Amino acid sequence: MDACGSPPPVKRNRQSPTDNEDSVGIRAVLSDEYNEIALIKVHSCQLETKQQLQSVIQELSQKLPRLQHLKRVHDRNVLICPTSDIGDAETLEEHLQRYAFSANVLRALCHQVKVVEVPARMPKLRVQYEQMIQHWPCKFHPNHYSESLRNGSNFSISQRIFHKRMAQLLARLSRDVNKDKPVGICVDPRQSSIVSIAGASESYSAHGHEHCSMLLVDFVARSQQGGALKSDLSFVEDEEKAETTLRGLPKAYYDYLKKNEAYQDLKFGAEVSRKCQPQQQVLLNADHSQGADNLTKYGPYLCTGYDVYLLQEPCLMCSMAFVHSRAKRIFFLRPSDNGALVTRFQLHAVKELNHHYEVFQFTTDGSLT
Amino acid sequence: MAAFMEEALMEARRARDAGEVPVGCVFVHEDKVVARGANEVNVSRNATRHAEFICIDAILAYCREKNLPARQMFSEIIVVVTVEPCIMCSAALHTLGVQEIIFGCENDRFGGKTVVNVGAVVGKKIKITGGVRGDEAMALLKEFYKGDNPAAPTVAKKKN
Repeated sequence: MDACGSPPPVKRNRQSPTDNEDSVGIRAVLSDEYNEIALIKVHSCQLETKQQLQSVIQELSQKLPRLQHLKRVHDRNVLICPTSDIGDAETLEEHLQRYAFSANVLRALCHQVKVVEVPARMPKLRVQYEQMIQHWPCKFHPNHYSESLRNGSNFSISQRIFHKRMAQLLARLSRDVNKDKPVGICVDPRQSSIVSIAGASESYSAHGHEHCSMLLVDFVARSQQGGALKSDLSFVEDEEKAETTLRGLPKAYYDYLKKNEAYQDLKFGAEVSRKCQPQQQVLLNADHSQGADNLTKYGPYLCTGYDVYLLQEPCLMCSMAFVHSRAKRIFFLRPSDNGALVTRFQLHAVKELNHHYEVFQFTTDGSLT
Repeated sequence: MAAFMEEALMEARRARDAGEVPVGCVFVHEDKVVARGANEVNVSRNATRHAEFICIDAILAYCREKNLPARQMFSEIIVVVTVEPCIMCSAALHTLGVQEIIFGCENDRFGGKTVVNVGAVVGKKIKITGGVRGDEAMALLKEFYKGDNPAAPTVAKKKN
């Protein structure tokens, strides 16, 4: 080194990228279906003899095929139907007469009737299952991936380190480049490569709708030869014949990271859009759960297959913007008063939507900034 | 409001002719159209460029240019749009505090009223009226999606 005459290394305020690692955890934000123990009230009867069992069960499964997630019989008690099925003006017996049960079975069903509370749905996780069967035996199909989301084993160690590093980066970029205002980062997880970075802008904030997520979506569009928002920022330009594009990156963030010793190993850039109309790409594969696969198959399209890291939990508008953009996963660091993924709502748990991303929250001891 | 819906439908047809999902919108202020927009999602590669956002940005730019208070302006705006605003647009319109929203046909895939009660999440109540020339708005969508697009939202059912 001395022989080359290079200047002595500058003493710098260097922090290893993993300094804060132990203070950061990652929690999957699962919908209520994974947390709650929902119960419903159901009419049950008690059989007098075991000989009744076969005919009662046979007729019930034909005529009232309800409550499939539950064991119909438990300890001589038989589930008939939810209390909510019975109209205000009728009794259970009147209700059952509509289904043309045989006389023996009808009599059995009306013997020692009581109301029991049973699980409303099949459990998603073992921990729910164990609580639910305290109420009534139910079916359970264990799902390895769901369990791993809950216990955190869904990420490998190196993935976990990368996610945490992004969390740290959010805090750092907000503090050093964006005057403590929110920032977001979009990453192509196939190469752990940063596609875009956006910060909530001062000039827009007065109007409250140009949040960093909306800018991030537009900056990702820039990496696909699109983009709609006029911006005062200057963006990184691509070198000729570059295999990846840096056009989604504002220069201020890119230059900051490139100059910082601690971030020399970060990768930047997005795959270049392929020559294919976006509409056709959607036509090709409508299975949105295969986000990353579609990214590999068809190339970049909106935020398909991309991960999004946000300093603040997104509001409802921004959360829905990422649904429209088909993001793969959303990671955020701090809850927001108007947040729509944990605080006020769980948009990703709305079944009717045509795309669902996974949501993760970084949990910290507050030392991240 | 039927006359303003015709203006919105014109925007929707413009979107269709440009190969975009045919949704159009106008913002009405003091009985005059002050902003008009059509979907620009495909051309911008940005899935948030819905007709409503084109109009919102036009108003914001106008207010910036004229140095007018945007919040005041939005509180006097009636949004006329051919399809029920999606959750994102509805959230933005609620947050901006527009006076009223009038739409044509429902959006049962991601409507900001039909699927999610946006007003309750955002904590703001705005008068919303649907079913104004909804058949025509729906016909435009059906025409656009008739090519068996499996990714297309299921066409909203009209309830009127």
